[in-house]
Amino acid sequence: MAEVRAEITANVWQVVAEEGQMVAEGDEIVILESMKMEIPVVTETPGVVREIHVQPEDVVQEGDLIAIIDES
Amino acid sequence: MSRDERAMSDDAPRPVSHEGGDVHEWGPLVDGLVARREQALGMGGPELVDRQHSLGKLTVRERLERLVDQGTFVEFGMLADHMDPGLGDRYLAADGCVTGVGDVDGRRVAIAAYDFTVMAGSMGAVGEDKVSRIRELALRQRIPMVWLLDSAGARISSQSGSTFAGMGALFREQVAMSGVVPMVAAMLGHCAAGTAYIPALADFVPMVKGTSSMALGGRHLVKAAVGEDVTEEEMGGSAVHTKVSGVADLEVADDDECLAVVRRYLSFFPSNNRERPPERPTDDPVDRRVDELHAIVPTAPRRAYDVRRVVTAIVDDGDVLWMKPDWAKNVVTALAHVGGAAVGIVANQPMVLGGALDVNAADKAARFVWLCDAFNIPLVFLHDVPGFVVGSAVEKQGIIRHGAKMLFAVSEATVPKISVVMRKSYGAGYFVMNGLAYEADYIVTWPTAEIAVMGPDGAVAIIHRRTLEAVPEEERATKRLELAEEIRRNIDPYVAAGHAKVDDVIDPAETRAAIARGLRVSRDKHVERPWRKHGVLPV
Repeated sequence: MAEVRAEITANVWQVVAEEGQMVAEGDEIVILESMKMEIPVVTETPGVVREIHVQPEDVVQEGDLIAIIDES
Repeated sequence: MSRDERAMSDDAPRPVSHEGGDVHEWGPLVDGLVARREQALGMGGPELVDRQHSLGKLTVRERLERLVDQGTFVEFGMLADHMDPGLGDRYLAADGCVTGVGDVDGRRVAIAAYDFTVMAGSMGAVGEDKVSRIRELALRQRIPMVWLLDSAGARISSQSGSTFAGMGALFREQVAMSGVVPMVAAMLGHCAAGTAYIPALADFVPMVKGTSSMALGGRHLVKAAVGEDVTEEEMGGSAVHTKVSGVADLEVADDDECLAVVRRYLSFFPSNNRERPPERPTDDPVDRRVDELHAIVPTAPRRAYDVRRVVTAIVDDGDVLWMKPDWAKNVVTALAHVGGAAVGIVANQPMVLGGALDVNAADKAARFVWLCDAFNIPLVFLHDVPGFVVGSAVEKQGIIRHGAKMLFAVSEATVPKISVVMRKSYGAGYFVMNGLAYEADYIVTWPTAEIAVMGPDGAVAIIHRRTLEAVPEEERATKRLELAEEIRRNIDPYVAAGHAKVDDVIDPAETRAAIARGLRVSRDKHVERPWRKHGVLPV
């Protein structure tokens, strides 16, 4: 199990991945919006998306949990 | 005929070594010397040499062969031993540290290489005298100093105690050398305490993955002092120092790669701060168009891309040495050449944190700017920065102090400074990336450039806060967009160019040529500041 966390305080702009989806290393899970930029949040672990903890327009703080990936 | 005259005449009988009588007895003396040399070259003995190899490490002498040009190493103090009555008649080859001068690409470099097969490469009194001599020599000759570190740290003996009161000159001397000659500390083994501060004070620190580490306290000391049970790797391995702490510059796979990268790093640098860096001839035309930048960089300002592709595309032969590539990835620092001239590149990385600068990025960039400035390497800034990260989290980390450090370094730097504003360059982000007011010698923008104190949305929230409050809530979003659009119209590279606050607007494809132009016009830059001992650095 691997956790994907926010690296910066931001608004959630888009949720790209879906629960149950297969993802490869480097795939985008969500796109945050902060500092006038789209900030893609990627998984460093390949596997299946077990849970996504955010939805569009949520505010996340640095270190907040965004998703959980079951390692393949 | 005297004895000497007879020895020199051709028909006289030659002295024979193993016979007594009226001849010189050189044989045993020379044999004795040969035996001593062989013993020194045998290092800690076959068993420990095998052990060194079984760990995937090279021996100190194999490392030296790979570091210097073949046959150029002149060793100082090969016949050294510990000379410590406490250690009895035990032999410590070279006292655990091989020192000397060798050539790297035809230029002399002073070297101190610790030998882990000799009492774990521990720093003994004689060995440290040797290192001290070679350090002084590096400074006197104004040549780079390279440490190959594979050492457990100070040699602790029961006699040690408070004679420690006189120790520590090595670090003070190293500080005095900083910025005078390049210093490299290659991490090739588990190093603690003394041998962890050497890299901390050096300019460039590559670390071998899996076999090297650095920590102020070694594993056993940590267990005793704070009760923590950790391995050397967990505490101070290459993953920690190249990804989390930022103490080291580069993680490499093995000793071979490590020594090759030390040679490569030195190729960018002059031998000392009074010289220019060496030119590197290239067939890559300086005016080569870089049309691929049109594909790499999105015109949509919020869209991310990998700025490393921009750097690779514009420099000579696509050849780049990334510095601290795995730490503070929101800013990219790299050594490369443009038109044969060594350059240090500082580029914002929109892929990470949107390219916004945080405490570690400011730290990384400031240090890199100081490094290049010390050794006359011109700086190239590639702007795509939404500013410094704001908010309570970064304030607690001291973003102001770290941001000020980058401001300080860029302000202080007197090397040629070229800026290319690719897209965004907002607020203090524009200043620390070498804005016009920072003695930028040539500053150009792309047509996508946005230079302003802040972005339109932020500006609306501040300038028009009351206007917006007066508007009914259902109309507020539309009004906000309208006002932002009004501000956006003034954020335009041709406004900056119209005021001559940038030197030119260029097609991205002309970026390489523009940088080469900037380097050419600023080649003889000379800046004198008011005298001072030193500034008071925000750190």
